[in-house]
Amino acid sequence: MPFTIGPAGDTAIRLSFQEPPSPHLTQQLLELQLTAQAYFLDALSDSVVGYATLTLFFMPLSLQRDQVTAWLENTARSICDSQPVDAEHNKAAVVLPVFYDPAVAPDLLTVADDLGMTIDALITLHSATPYFAYATGFAPGFCYLGTLDPRLKTQRLSTPRLRVPAGAVAIADQQTAVYPCESPGGWRIIGACPVVLFDLTATPVSTLTVGDSVRFEAIDEQTYCSLGGKL
Amino acid sequence: MDPLALKAGQHCLGHCAGEAAIEIAYGNVRATPSHDCAMVVTGAPTMLLIDNEPIPTKSIQILGAGQSLTIGPPSEGIYSYLHVAGGFSTAPIFDSRSTSPREGIGGLHGGYLRDHDVVPLGDSVPLIDTYRANPGLCNMEQRAVLTLRYVPGYQYDELAPALIQRLNGEHFEVTAKANRMGVTLNGPLLKTGVESLLSEATCQGAIQIPPDGNPIVLMKDRQTMGGYPIPGAVIESDCVRLAQVRPGQKVRFAACTPQEADNIRWLEHHYAETRLR
Repeated sequence: MPFTIGPAGDTAIRLSFQEPPSPHLTQQLLELQLTAQAYFLDALSDSVVGYATLTLFFMPLSLQRDQVTAWLENTARSICDSQPVDAEHNKAAVVLPVFYDPAVAPDLLTVADDLGMTIDALITLHSATPYFAYATGFAPGFCYLGTLDPRLKTQRLSTPRLRVPAGAVAIADQQTAVYPCESPGGWRIIGACPVVLFDLTATPVSTLTVGDSVRFEAIDEQTYCSLGGKL
Repeated sequence: MDPLALKAGQHCLGHCAGEAAIEIAYGNVRATPSHDCAMVVTGAPTMLLIDNEPIPTKSIQILGAGQSLTIGPPSEGIYSYLHVAGGFSTAPIFDSRSTSPREGIGGLHGGYLRDHDVVPLGDSVPLIDTYRANPGLCNMEQRAVLTLRYVPGYQYDELAPALIQRLNGEHFEVTAKANRMGVTLNGPLLKTGVESLLSEATCQGAIQIPPDGNPIVLMKDRQTMGGYPIPGAVIESDCVRLAQVRPGQKVRFAACTPQEADNIRWLEHHYAETRLR
């Protein structure tokens, strides 16, 4: 698998794969991340998995960039050459309840309209298949889920909303996600999830992590409210 | 935003356990301690008053219980740091006393300090005469054009050579759209024709180019993931200089190799270490 290694500023090294994202690629990036954490220990200040990248942030005065680059190149090659382990099948899907209703989803009607389908058909499509968690970031607890059915592919809002409420279930391109806390956002909101996805007092603090399998389940208003959802 | 200024204050007061300071943008703060304490203000230089009497700005001062400290607007730069001996005793989150207002995490109540807030002081430290002189670490050299050295990377090789030429050859201006997340620049438009890419980790100093063509240099409170093209990232020491300049400042970009960036870091680290001895 071809990849490139280069600097990400003066204190990080970035590994980027040329191939399109896939659960298999993510598993390899995760394996590489774990191996790097175990090898570099405290000399690594952070490491982040993207759709097709792994970025290693190192403590510049305790590690030399050539060291990290050489290690990354060798290790990435050997992980690519090794037999893939299908770890994603060992994980049970996280089920997230979603109240799909215009009362909590300002874009539900227009999205269904734009896509030329009924709201019920949209809900069925969105909740039919489990999604793969490709990356976390943007906001604490935010998880990029894919891949959306091509029939649900939409554009982002041309002007992002300044305030997207916590729990908003949204779609953009072929991705979907739940906004864990109130934030700005340009994705289209099609539902609301009453589950808290980021909690500083919980362990782990974030419900979702890269490599997870996530499925949405349609619930009615009563269930939504009884689970703590706000209208 | 200015780690050197933070370090300078910690050095003065003998802080070595990561004691927090209060970061102040554009000055104009008044504070009164509940007990006598030693304090120093570092970073962007401001006028200081105790009970309306001007005091020396660069050295440690004793602020008596009930006295009123006024920090005026900075004469240059943006970020000043108020350090009090013993630090502040807000609850650490993820081993840090930083505040992340966007997420409402850390600090006093997860947000910016407001009028009439009461910030708990750390353990009262006996007033001692072993405080050290202000090492005067400073990033505020005034220049007509501030050079931002950056390490090419990310999508550098995929962007049009004409765009890279513009980035390296022209001047840009710091806009008022500047905060702890990023500094938006204005100048010749850098149209990449790319709406968005696969999301990946951003880094400090990353020169992010949104579809409108006005580059944003990402700073300390940047979003962790981004999807806009990035031709490279400004080195840390120039990020600090950029953090301390005001809207209207002219900047230019200069590519440097990773090895040059490493050398600059070593030199500046060594310089700071000798000043902090």
